[in-house]
Amino acid sequence: MPFTAKSGKFSAKINTVEIGTGDKAIKIGGENVFPFYTFDDAIANAPKVGIEITDGGLANEPECIQKCYEGCETVVDMAKKAVTFEGVDFLSIRLEGGDPNGENKSTDELIQLVKDVADAVDVPLVVCGCKHVEKDAELLDKASAALEGRNALILAAKEENYKTIGASAGLAYKQVVGAESAVDINLAKQLNVLLTQLGVDGKSIVMNVGSAAAGYGFEYVVSTMDRIKAAALSQGDTTLQMPIITPVASEVWGVKEAMASEADMPEWGCQESRGVDMEIETAAAVLASGSNAVILRHPESVKTIKTLIAELV
Amino acid sequence: MALKGLDIFKLSPKKNCKECGSPTCMAFSMKVAQGAVSIDACPYFSEEAKAAMSEATAPPMKTIKVGTGENEMSLGGETVLFRHEKTFVSKTRYAVSLCSCMDDATIEAKLAEIPKVDYERIGERMYVEMVYVNYSADAGKDKYLDLVKKAAGLGRVLILGCPDADVAKEAVALVKDTKPVLNGANASNYEAMNAVATEAGVVLGVQGADSNELYDTVAALEKLGNKNLIIDCGTTSIKDAFATAVQFRKAAIKDSNRTCGYPSLVNAAMLAKGNAHLQAALASLFTMKYGSIVVMEQMTYAEALPLYGLRQNVFTDPQKPMKVEPGIYPLNGADENSICVTTVDFALTYFVVSGELERSGVPMNLIINDAGGLSVLTSWAAGKFSSSTIAKFFQEQDIEGKIKSRRLVIPGKVAVLKGELEAKLPGWEIIVAPNEAVQLVKFMKEITA
Amino acid sequence: MTLFDVVFSGNDTVYGLTESAINDAIAKYGADKAVAFPDTAYSLPCYYAVTGTKVGNLGELKEALGVVKTLMTREQKLNDAFMSGVATALCAEFIEVLKYMDGAVPYEAPCYGHLGDPVIRELGVPLVTGDIPGVAVILGAAPTAEEGVALVKSYQAQGILVTLVGGIIDQCEEMGYKTGANVRVIPLGKDVTSVVHVVSVAIRAALIFGNIQPGDAAGLMEYTMKRVPAFVNAFAPLDAVIVACGAGAIALGFPVITNEETFKVPKSLIVQKDVSKFNATSLEARDIKIKITNIDIPVAFASAFEGEIIRRGDMQVEFDGSRVDCFELVTTKDMSEIEDHKIEVIGPELDGFDVGSKQSIAYVVEVAGKSMQSDFEPVIERKFHSYLNCVEGLMHTGQRDMIRVRVSKETFNAGFRVKHIGEVLYAKVKSEFAAVVDKCQVKIYTDAEMCTKLRHELATPVFEKRDERLNTLTDEGVDVYYSCIMCQAFSPSHVCVVTPERLGLCGAVSWLDAKATNELDPQGPCQVITKEKVIDERIGEYEDVNEAVKKFSQGALEDVSLYSIIEKPMTSCGCFECICGIEPLSNGVCIANREYAGMTPIGMTFPELASMTGGGVQTPGFMGHGKHFISSKKFMKAEGGVRRIVWMPKDLKDQVAERLNATAKELYGIDNFTDMIGDETVAEDPETLLAFLEEKGHPALSMDPMM
Repeated sequence: MPFTAKSGKFSAKINTVEIGTGDKAIKIGGENVFPFYTFDDAIANAPKVGIEITDGGLANEPECIQKCYEGCETVVDMAKKAVTFEGVDFLSIRLEGGDPNGENKSTDELIQLVKDVADAVDVPLVVCGCKHVEKDAELLDKASAALEGRNALILAAKEENYKTIGASAGLAYKQVVGAESAVDINLAKQLNVLLTQLGVDGKSIVMNVGSAAAGYGFEYVVSTMDRIKAAALSQGDTTLQMPIITPVASEVWGVKEAMASEADMPEWGCQESRGVDMEIETAAAVLASGSNAVILRHPESVKTIKTLIAELV
Repeated sequence: MALKGLDIFKLSPKKNCKECGSPTCMAFSMKVAQGAVSIDACPYFSEEAKAAMSEATAPPMKTIKVGTGENEMSLGGETVLFRHEKTFVSKTRYAVSLCSCMDDATIEAKLAEIPKVDYERIGERMYVEMVYVNYSADAGKDKYLDLVKKAAGLGRVLILGCPDADVAKEAVALVKDTKPVLNGANASNYEAMNAVATEAGVVLGVQGADSNELYDTVAALEKLGNKNLIIDCGTTSIKDAFATAVQFRKAAIKDSNRTCGYPSLVNAAMLAKGNAHLQAALASLFTMKYGSIVVMEQMTYAEALPLYGLRQNVFTDPQKPMKVEPGIYPLNGADENSICVTTVDFALTYFVVSGELERSGVPMNLIINDAGGLSVLTSWAAGKFSSSTIAKFFQEQDIEGKIKSRRLVIPGKVAVLKGELEAKLPGWEIIVAPNEAVQLVKFMKEITA
Repeated sequence: MTLFDVVFSGNDTVYGLTESAINDAIAKYGADKAVAFPDTAYSLPCYYAVTGTKVGNLGELKEALGVVKTLMTREQKLNDAFMSGVATALCAEFIEVLKYMDGAVPYEAPCYGHLGDPVIRELGVPLVTGDIPGVAVILGAAPTAEEGVALVKSYQAQGILVTLVGGIIDQCEEMGYKTGANVRVIPLGKDVTSVVHVVSVAIRAALIFGNIQPGDAAGLMEYTMKRVPAFVNAFAPLDAVIVACGAGAIALGFPVITNEETFKVPKSLIVQKDVSKFNATSLEARDIKIKITNIDIPVAFASAFEGEIIRRGDMQVEFDGSRVDCFELVTTKDMSEIEDHKIEVIGPELDGFDVGSKQSIAYVVEVAGKSMQSDFEPVIERKFHSYLNCVEGLMHTGQRDMIRVRVSKETFNAGFRVKHIGEVLYAKVKSEFAAVVDKCQVKIYTDAEMCTKLRHELATPVFEKRDERLNTLTDEGVDVYYSCIMCQAFSPSHVCVVTPERLGLCGAVSWLDAKATNELDPQGPCQVITKEKVIDERIGEYEDVNEAVKKFSQGALEDVSLYSIIEKPMTSCGCFECICGIEPLSNGVCIANREYAGMTPIGMTFPELASMTGGGVQTPGFMGHGKHFISSKKFMKAEGGVRRIVWMPKDLKDQVAERLNATAKELYGIDNFTDMIGDETVAEDPETLLAFLEEKGHPALSMDPMM
C-alpha cells in the first residue's frame, strides 16, 4: 500500500506583489500552500533574497563585510557591487543614519543618496527607514517621491505613521507599501485594514511582521508567521494575505553571537562564520515560517539562502 | 483528540485516596489529561477504563527513547503541527557525522572537535548530543568497528549508519548498552536489520528510495512487531527530504496514520555534502519543520550559537514565557559604582532591554527581578513586579551590600511605582525610564552624562 | 427670486463670458491651437475628472463647453442648482486655462493661479493624514483688513490650509501678512474664476489619493464630500456669480459660510454675521477636529510622573473628598451648549488658599459630539486618574466623589493653578476621545458651597443613575455583545465574549468598556458580535457568537456557550482574576482568586488550576472569570447558577458577599448565602468541606448531579 498524503492545497492564496520594473522586476507571494510545501502544490513565486547596504557605507559594516566591498569608496559604489553578488534579487538601502537619536542626518542628504543609489542600479529597490516613527514619516514620504516610477518597496509604515507613509508611498507615488507591526497577528491585521481604509490597494502591501535573531525570542516570530499564513490560507482572511518580507540583516548583525570579536571570545572562533551562520540560520527559519522575501547583508548568506530556496522550490 | 480531564474523572474511582500523590481524583484526572502524570499512578482505575483511556490518549506520534543514563533522550511524541497550538515536546537533536571512509587524521580531528561546543544558555546545556557513524563498505568492517569504538569514547548517543546487517550486528554489539540508533533498514534488508535491532533492543532507522517505499518498509517492520523506529527522510534531494519530514508528520498528526508516527532523521551532511553553510541552513529549516535528529558534518560555534538558540526558542511552551535567571547582570564593564537598571525576568524583555543597554555602552548593573517570567505590565498587574517585590528582592540579593550606587532606573511602563519605591528603598534615587526599549540608548547616555 | 434663480443667473453670466472668451481665442489662434495648464498630467483637471475626457486644443475646449451646457438644466430643483454650480466651476476652469495660452504666465506674486501636480502630491499627503486638518477657501474682502487677517491667522494656527481669492489678498498685503505655499496661505488670484484652482486641488486629490476614475462624477463627489475637508468663507457682498460658484462648492460637499444675510441651506449655506466666529462655525459645519498636540501648563506632563507621591509637608493644597465635598464628572451636553476649550474656574484660585489646607473641588467636564453616548461618560471619567497623575507635582487618587488631589509647592510656584487641571482634562479628552468628543468645556468649582450643592444635586444623581444602569443592564436587554482579543499576544486562540452580565475574565473589560473601545478604535481588539441566532438558550449558545469566536480565534475555536462551565465553556487566556472548577464530592464549584496562595478542596492551587485552564483551550468543568462575574445572574446559569458555589477563599468571599447574597436572595430566596459557602478556614479538602456544607444545608447538595 503506497503512502498517500492528503493534499494541503488551499483555495485561498497569498497576494502576488511585484516590486521593481522591467526585466529585473520580482514577484513575491502568490502561493496557495504553506511555505515550501511543493508536494501540495507548486509554489507560484520562489521567495526572494535581497542584499542590504546602509547610508553609513563601509564604515558601518563589520570587517568581514567590508572586505566583500573592497575597492568601494562610496555608498553608490557599494550598491553597484552589491547587485553583482550571486543570488541577489533586489537591493535594500537602510537609512539608519536618519535616526534623531543617532547621527540625525538630514532628510535632504539621505534622499539625495537614495536617488544616487537608484540611478546606479536597475534591480528592484527596498528603502528602509531609521526606525524612528516621526523621522521615517518624513524620510519615507520623500523617498517615495524620489523613486517615482521605480515601483519600490517602502519599508515601512507603522501604526504610528501609516497615514503619511501609506498616503505618500501607496497613493501619491504608487510604490509598494511595507506594513510593519511588532510580532502580533492582530496588530499586523489591524495595520493592513487601516492602510486599505486609507485607500491603499491591499494588493500592493507587503508586511514586515517583525523579526528577531535566532535565539532572541524567535518563538514569537515563528508563531506570528505560522498563524498569519494559516489565517490567510485556511481561513481565507483577505486582510492577512499580503506577502511577508523579513529584514533579517538588521536583526542579526547586532547580536553578540555575530558581532563579538574573536579576540573577545576566542573559544567561539571566527567572527565571520558566526555572523554568516547567524544570518543564514535566521533566514532559513523565517522562510520556513512563511517569509516571501528576506533581506541579508553578507554575500555568502545571500548565496547560501538562494541555493536553499532553489533546492526547495 | 486528547481526552478532557472531566472525561477521565468520570472513569476515575472518585475516592480521593491520595495514593497517586494528588489530593483528589479530580486533580489527578486533570494532570493525566495534561500528560503531566501517567494513568498508571492510580492503582484503582479499572483495567477496562485504562484500556479505553490508553486507546483514546495514545499519542499520534510515538515517543522513542535513545541513550541511557544522563544521555537518555526522547524523540518524537509530538501532538501538533504548529507550536502555538501546543508545546513541541521533544527538541531536535543534532548529530555530527563520522565515516569509516575518512582517513585517520580526519577522524582524529573530528573526534577532537566534537566536544568543543559545550556551553550553557538560559539553563540548558548546549552540545552535540549524538554522533552519526557511517559505514563505508569500501573501508571494510574492521575499520568501521574501530571507528564505532572510538566514537563511543565521546560518550554521546551513537547512530550507527550501516545497512549491512552482518556488520551492523557486530557494531551494535559493541555499544548496545548505550542504547544507540541503528540506521539503515530498507526494502531489501529490513528483516535482517530488524532481527539485529530487536535482538539488541535498539531503535531502528528506516530508509526508502522514495516515500512509498519508506512507508511500505515501516509498515512491514510494524507487521514484524517492531514499533521502535525512526524515519530517515532520505538523501536523494533536499526537496524530497523536506517533503518526507513534513508529509509524515502531517499524516501522523492530522490523519492519525500511525505508520507515519515516528521521529524523523534528516541527514544534512549528505544532502549538502561539503557545504557547511547550506548544512547550517538545513539544520535551521529542519529544526523548524519536523526533524527529530539532524546530522551535520560539523558543529562549530558558528553553527551552534544560532541553532541552539533557535531550538531553545521553538521548543518552548507557547503559554509559558521563557525566563532568565534573576540576579545582577553587570553590563559594559560595570562595577559596584555603576548605576542600576531593573526589569523583569521575562526572557524577551531581558533580551530586548539588555541589547539596547549594551548598545548604549554605559556601564550599569542590570538587576533582573523574579517576576514569574512575565512581561513588565503583566507582572505588574499580577502583583509580581511591585514596589514590595522589588524591595524584597533587593534585600534577598543583598543589592545594597553588593552595589554602592544608589541610582535605580525603573521601566517607564511602571512609572507608578516611583513613589512607593522611594518609600521602600530609602536612600535610592528612583529614575523613570522611557516606555520603549529603543529609547534607552539615548536616555542612559543622558542620565549618566 | 429664489436661490435657484440666483444660481442659474450667475451660471448663465459665467457661461456667456466663457463662450465669448473661447470664441475670441479661436478667432485669434485657430481651433487647433493647444491649450493646457502647466505641470499637470490631468489636462483640465475638473473637466477631466467629471467627464473622463481630456481637452487638448481650443476646438476640443469649445466641444467641452457644449457638454457643460447640458448640465445647465433650469428646473427649480436642488440637483439643477448643484449641476449649474458644477457647470460654473467648469466654465471658470475654461476661462482660467485660456489665461495660460501660448505659455503665458498670467499670475504673479503673491498670486499662484494654477497649482501643479507636485504641489498636490505634497499637500495631499498631510491632507490624507489629517496633518492638514482642513482647507479654507476665503473669497472676497472682509469687512476690515484686520478681521480678514485675523481669520486667516486663526486657520493658519490650526494647521488649516488657506486659499485666498479676491479682496482678501489685498487685505493681507495691506497688513503686511506673509503668504505663500510654505506657510500654507496660498493666494490664488483676484478674479473670482481663480477659485477653480483650489477646486482643481481637491479634484486631483480625489484622482491621486482616492483612486477615483476620471468620468466617475458620483464617486468624485462622494470622495470630496467625505475626504476633502474643505469649506468656503465668502464675504459680503455676494453676487450671482459667487453664489453660482458656491453652489458648485456645495455640490462637492464644501459648506459655504457667509456674513451676508441671504438664503440659508442647513449645513451647506450658513449665515454667520460675526466674522470672528467664522472659524468656529466653519469647523463645526465641516466637522473638522483640530488635533491637540500640546498641553498648555507650566509644568511637565509625562507618564514618568504617574507614580509620584506628594507628602504632606510638600503640598501647597489638598482637595480631599473624604473630608469635604469633592467630585469629578463627565457629562454630555448638546453641541450648542458648549464653547470648545472654555475653561471656567468658579471660586477662588489656588492663591486664595492657605498653604497645606484642605479644600473642596469639583470639576465637571462637559462634552458633546455626534457619536457621544452617555455610556462613555464613566469610561472617560475613569481616565482622569491617569491624566492628572501625569502632571508633575500633582497627585490624584480615587474617583467619583471620593477623589483626593494634592498639588505640590514646587508646582504651585512654577505657576500651576486650578485652571490648568481644566487644560489637562480638555486636552486629553479631546485628543484621546476624538472619535466621540467634538467639543469640550471644563467647569472647575472651588467654592465650597457650590461643591456641596452640586455634589448632591448634580453628581450623586448621575452616579446613582449609572449604577442603576449597570445593575439593570442585562444580556437580554442589549442587541450586541463584544469580542475582546487583547490577550491574543500570548494566548493566541483565546477570545473573550463580553456581555453586560459577563465582563472579561481579566475583570478589566466591562461591556461598556468594550463598547467604548470599539467606538474609539473600530479596528481594535473589541468587535461587535451579534446574537440573533440562538442555538440553545439554556447554555447561551448562538450561531453568530460561534461564528465570531471562530473568526477571531483564527479557526481554533468552533463553539462556545456563554453560561455553562461544562458544555463548551468559554476559554481562558491566563489573565483571569478567578478560576472556578468542579468539586465533585459536594456537587458544586470552588472558586480561587489569583491572590489566594493556598490549597483548594479541588486538590489544586490557583497556579495549578491556571496552568490547565489557560491558553485559550476549552477545559470543561473549569473556567477563568472576573470577580464581578461571581455575583452575576448568569454565573454558570446552565448548571444552576450561583447556588453551585461551595467554596472560595475568605478574602474573596468578603469582597463579593454583598452582591452575591443579593443575587442568591433574588433568584433563589436564600438569605446570607455566603455563610453557607466554605473557605480556607473551614476546609482545604473535599471531605471536611462536605461535612461543613451538610451542616449548613448548602443547596448544591440537593441539586441535580453536575456530571
